[in-house]
Amino acid sequence: MTVADTDVRLHLMERFLADGRPPSVAEAAAALEATEEGVAGAYGRLQDAHVIVLAPGSLDVWMANPLSAVPTPFPVETERGTYYANCIWDALGIPAMLGCDGTVAASCADCGDPLPVRIRNGEIHGAGGVAPFAVPAARWWDNIGHT
Amino acid sequence: MLAFRSEEHVDWWLAARRLGRGASFTLEQAWGLAHAWYHDRLEPSWRRKTAEEAEEVFAGLGLTGDFWRLRPSE
Repeated sequence: MTVADTDVRLHLMERFLADGRPPSVAEAAAALEATEEGVAGAYGRLQDAHVIVLAPGSLDVWMANPLSAVPTPFPVETERGTYYANCIWDALGIPAMLGCDGTVAASCADCGDPLPVRIRNGEIHGAGGVAPFAVPAARWWDNIGHT
Repeated sequence: MLAFRSEEHVDWWLAARRLGRGASFTLEQAWGLAHAWYHDRLEPSWRRKTAEEAEEVFAGLGLTGDFWRLRPSE
């Protein structure tokens, strides 16, 4: 049975949010009643389309933006659970995606002082900080782990 | 992309690593970007923004200039 990339994407996000980690190719294939080859192909196409990022040399999902499969300096607490985000933009993207309140336990990358940011009823609170980009927007996907 | 208390802290952090400056935005602008980017991510109909659409989001938040350009200059 073939499997649509959209179905794989939605299943991946659903399981990531429910389990706190993305499904493996085998897990997604079993849940979607698809072949592992079919899901692996979808993972590859989703990466090529800059929808997800796979860990180098593997089919393991590293990023399904805004979610990170590995711990980062951006834990985000929401009513659905606590998740790691890839960066401060993605950290704010988690409550935006879920349509709920959230608290980002960020800290200043320079001095380490707490820089908590709260989203309440669609408004941002406690955000006095700034977020720098190192490379221009057109080159973000040259190396999405370093923007 | 990291978070900093202020532009001064960005400068100190970059100087310690001998890195050049790119561009930065406030966390209020980051929230605007995050909402525009992710509010519909769980919808079946979601698709990536085109370069033109993304530039419109940037511009709507005051993020303009070559740094934020995604399409080649004409």
